[in-house]
Formats: sequence, C-alpha cells, structure tokens
Amino acid sequence: MIRRKWSANEADEWTKEDWIAIILSPACYVLITLGAALSILLQVSGYIMLAIGIVLTILVHLVIDPKLKAISNEYETKQQGYLKELEAKVRWQSTDKNTS
Amino acid sequence: MATFTFLDWFWVGLFLLLMIGSGILFYRLGKRSESDFFLAGRGLPWWLPASSVYATHTATDTPMWITGVIYKNGMAGLWYTFFCGWAAISAFVSTRIFRRSLAYTQAEWNVVRFTGLGSELLRGWMAGWQFFMNMFVLGWVGIAMGLVCEYLFAWPTWIGLIVFSLVCAIYVLAAGYWGVVMADFQQGVIAFLVIIIVSVWGIHTAGGPTGILDKLAALGELDRINPFAFTGWWSGDFPIAWFITMMMIAFLGGFGMGTTIDWYVEAQRIQSAKTVRDASYSIWWGTIIGLVRNSVWAVAILAFFVLFPGITDQSEYEMGWFRLGFDYLPAGMLGFFFAAILAIHLSTVSSHLNLGALYATRDLYQHYVNPKASEKRLVQVGRISTGILLLGSFFYGLIMEDITSWLIFALWIMAAGIWLPNILQVVWWRFNAWGYLSSWIANLGFSWLVVWILPELNLIPHLLDYQQFWILMILGAMVYFPVTLLTKPEPMDHLVHYYVMSRPVGWWGPVRHEAERRGLIMSNGETVSGADQASRPADTYPKAP
Repeated sequence: MIRRKWSANEADEWTKEDWIAIILSPACYVLITLGAALSILLQVSGYIMLAIGIVLTILVHLVIDPKLKAISNEYETKQQGYLKELEAKVRWQSTDKNTS
Repeated sequence: MATFTFLDWFWVGLFLLLMIGSGILFYRLGKRSESDFFLAGRGLPWWLPASSVYATHTATDTPMWITGVIYKNGMAGLWYTFFCGWAAISAFVSTRIFRRSLAYTQAEWNVVRFTGLGSELLRGWMAGWQFFMNMFVLGWVGIAMGLVCEYLFAWPTWIGLIVFSLVCAIYVLAAGYWGVVMADFQQGVIAFLVIIIVSVWGIHTAGGPTGILDKLAALGELDRINPFAFTGWWSGDFPIAWFITMMMIAFLGGFGMGTTIDWYVEAQRIQSAKTVRDASYSIWWGTIIGLVRNSVWAVAILAFFVLFPGITDQSEYEMGWFRLGFDYLPAGMLGFFFAAILAIHLSTVSSHLNLGALYATRDLYQHYVNPKASEKRLVQVGRISTGILLLGSFFYGLIMEDITSWLIFALWIMAAGIWLPNILQVVWWRFNAWGYLSSWIANLGFSWLVVWILPELNLIPHLLDYQQFWILMILGAMVYFPVTLLTKPEPMDHLVHYYVMSRPVGWWGPVRHEAERRGLIMSNGETVSGADQASRPADTYPKAP
C-alpha cells in the first residue's frame, strides 16, 4: 500500500506518499504540542494526544523517508552542474546551451 | 536585582569563552569561500541546521512574548505560537523545492524562478528589504537583552544591547556561518536544558502539576488549561474565526516561500544542509523542538500565574518566566541561568548578523557591484557587511521604542497581502515576476489604507488583525491577478529549465508537457539522463550593468 522502494527518477513525482506526509505532519505538530503541555499537567487527554502524535510522526517518516532518500541521491548527481549555472547567473555570464 | 556569586560569574565566563572559541576553531573553514562563510559549504547533516532553526527562534524576547500570551489566555495562548506551523508542510514541499534551486537566498530564488527585468527588480528589492529587516531584528532582540540586564543588574539598557552583541560578532566575523551553526548547536542544547530546569523548578515551586490545578480551581480559572477555550465564533479575545485564519496562514503557508518572516532565516539553513532529505528533516525537527519548548513554557507560565495571579501590567507579567528563574533558583545556578539567556540571545544575534550580510554580499555586492569579485574579496565584504549590520542594530535598538509600532506595521505588510502570492509563485506556472512585484507594491498601499489611514478618517472601523488579513488578501488579488494575466508568462525555456531542476508541486501542466515534448522528462515522470544540461535556457539573461 505504501511504496518503500523508489527509483531515483520516480521519486521526483508528487505521489500519495507526499500527500500523506503533507496532511499528517500538521496533525503531528498540534498533537505533540498540546499533548506535551497537557501531559505535564497529568491530563489523560494529554497522554492520548501525545501518544497519537508520536505514532503519526513515526508513520510520516516511514512513509516519506525512502522517497526523500531517492530524491536526494538522484539530485546529488546533478547538483554540481546547477551550481555552476547559478554562479554564472550571479556574475551575469551567459549560459550558452539551448533547450530545444 | 540579582546578586551573583563567584560561581555564577564562572558559568557566564565559561560560556562566553566557549562561544568565542568556536569562532576561532572554525576560522579556517569560514574564510575558504563565500559558500563556506554563508552556507558552511552546503555540507551539514540535518541535525546541525535543525539545532540552528531551534536556537535562532529562541530569542531573548521569545519567553517574554510567550509568557504574555499564556498569562493572558491560558493554554489557548499556545495557538499563537503556531505561527511556525508552516514548517510542517514546508518540510515536505517548499523546503524540498527551494533546496533544489540551490539559491543562496530568497532574493536569488527570484531569478531562478523568474527571469528578465522583473526578476532583477524583485531580487534587488528583497535583498535591500532583508538587509534592513535583519538590522531591525538585531535591534529588537538586542534591546530585549538590555531590558533583561536592567532587570537583573540595574544596568542602563544600552550596556546589555551592545556588550553581548559585540561578543557574538567576534565569532560571526571570524568564522561566518560555520561559527553560527556550531555555536547554535551548543547554545540550543544549553538553552533547551535550562528552559526545562527553570520551568520544572517553577512548576515545583507552585506545588507541582496537581498544585497548579488545585490553585487554578480555587481561583475559578480552571478553564485556563483548556486549549480550545474559544470566546465564540466572532466575538471576544479569542474567536474561532481568528483561530481558523491563524491555522490557515500558518499551515497552508508551507506550500509557499516567504509566507512568514521566519522563512528567510530558514532558507539559509535549508541550503546549508547537505542533501534534500537533510534539508527537510532540519526544518521539521528544528520546529517541533521549538513547539515542545513552548509546551514546557506554557505550563511554567501557568505556575507563575497561580503564584502571582491578577497582574494587569503587561510589561510586568511578560517577565514571568525570567522571574521564576531569578527569584527561585538557588545561588550558583543563577549564573547558569544567565548563561542560558546569553545562549538564547547570541544564537539569534549571530544568525541575523550572518544572514543580513549574506543578502548584502551575494545579492547586492556580488550581483550588482562587483560580479567578478574573488572568493577572498567576497568573504571580506561579508565581514564588512556584518560590521555594518552590528552598528546599525545598535542605532535601531536605541530608538526602538519610538519606532516599534512602525516596524510591527512593516512586518505585518510582509505577511498579509502577499501571503497568497508567496504560495502562487511556487505552485502556479503562470504567475510571473510582474504579478509578484505588483502584489508587493499593492500590499504596501492597501496596508496603509486598511490598517491606518481609513480607520483614522473614520471611513472604516478599526479591524481585528484576522479581518485585516482577509481584506488585504482580497484587495491585493484584485491587482496581481490582472497584472499577471495581462503580462506575458515567463519564457517557456526558462520555465522548463526551472521545472526540470526543482520539480515544483501544483499547476505546472503546460510546462511539464513542454518538458516531455523536448524529451527532458519521460511521460511516466522520469528525467532523461543529462536533462539538467540540455534544459539550460538559451542566453536570455541581461548583460552586466
């Protein structure tokens, strides 16, 4: 159901794994923040929120980490070329190659 | 006024020595190149920029501000601290896209995403604005330190403002971002530990968690532990309409870049991470640590509330958390607490010194003044810019009381009317430099009208901040949408190149189809080998000035 293996290029697409992380991540922030505060005050609701927040955090990272690794590996191979281009741009130097 | 023993001063001296030492230790790395002086060579593992995210956003005025909202609103005040919630989505969206652009700054990103005169105007404007804003933030947190020192030692405020910023400048000038990030790591650890210690101490003093609850019940204030204690849909201090607006701004802002002022600081941390994955985790974890810190603070402030209920003077109750430390910690620990306050202070000052210098060096000096500058010269200019920022911050700090309302207004105009354009520039291919530029200009005018001029003339009522937000967003949209659609889109060559490099989320269909047509991306989404080279746009770039 959740994809764990990505080819470098496939990972560049925006897929359901990204949207799971995007939707759950704010919930993690809210649940952990409120849960931590209420837990210190020994509130049962705080323990529950904190526990759900931690479980969701683990889930988000399990879902998104393989994809982020694949994106990173793929991008690192191109980074030097892009950096040279950026340096040329800041120095007002032309970039010769055509796209078409 | 606090009395320090020898042990207290020992802690303070040891801490300052550690900070200056880190500057000397990383001096050689910092001076190697512009990339090292401002981005630590783009080689940091995620936990280092994460600690910097956390440390930078724990400033001297942060405990005052959080104490203020919690003392006034109880746990519901925690929602105010979610302005940093954008990082939840950004970590997996705009952080990823920005890291792939490799732009040193948000100003530079404008010329990666857009092209031509419009992009240059945006770059110049944003660089100048950010240089000014960093100077202002330095003055702001500097004077907060001055107030803490005045409270503690009865020193004139200028001493606290100037002395500790000067100490900080030693390691920022020496080692640049290497010094900043290494010191931030130490400062982050020290500050987090001491925040826990002081807060637990304060909670214990108030009778522990059960003691706090009992006293709240006795005061008839038990509702203060309810984070959802709204005052109705539209009315009162804490309406649901405000809450919904705030959460929308905070979380959905993560799809864009620059939707809060914090983005500009985080952008530097994102680019200093060694990979896209490290950048994502640095933003996510750095922010959640800050939120957990807020939780601990919130309970400590409830402890302060039950110890000192009924304070109505804001400037008095805002010092609540500091009072828990200085009034109740045992002798010998006061210096440790003060060292932690210094850690909190220096981490913010160092980050803004280096960040302001980055905009001045990369976007203003190198791009517009001396494009052929050597790496050695750029590091020199970085150091000179750091010095100018430092001096400017002293000036701002000393006149801060007179200008605060003006500058809060300046911060507000950055957030309200350009919130949506900051998202559109990331997610919509058709949004162009002229549309974005017009949103800034329109927002400047509309903000003056809606926030100040029209209410002063009694033409409209004084509106609450969330109401201002919606009105400014609608008024702005009436300008930048027509401007965008009536001007040409960015050249397709440029957009295709940007798309293949950054792979943005959202409405990029025509650009993607063009990239597929040119064989740069396969229809199943795979990038063709060598596409990064082939997608480089033709020389549409303007010549040097």
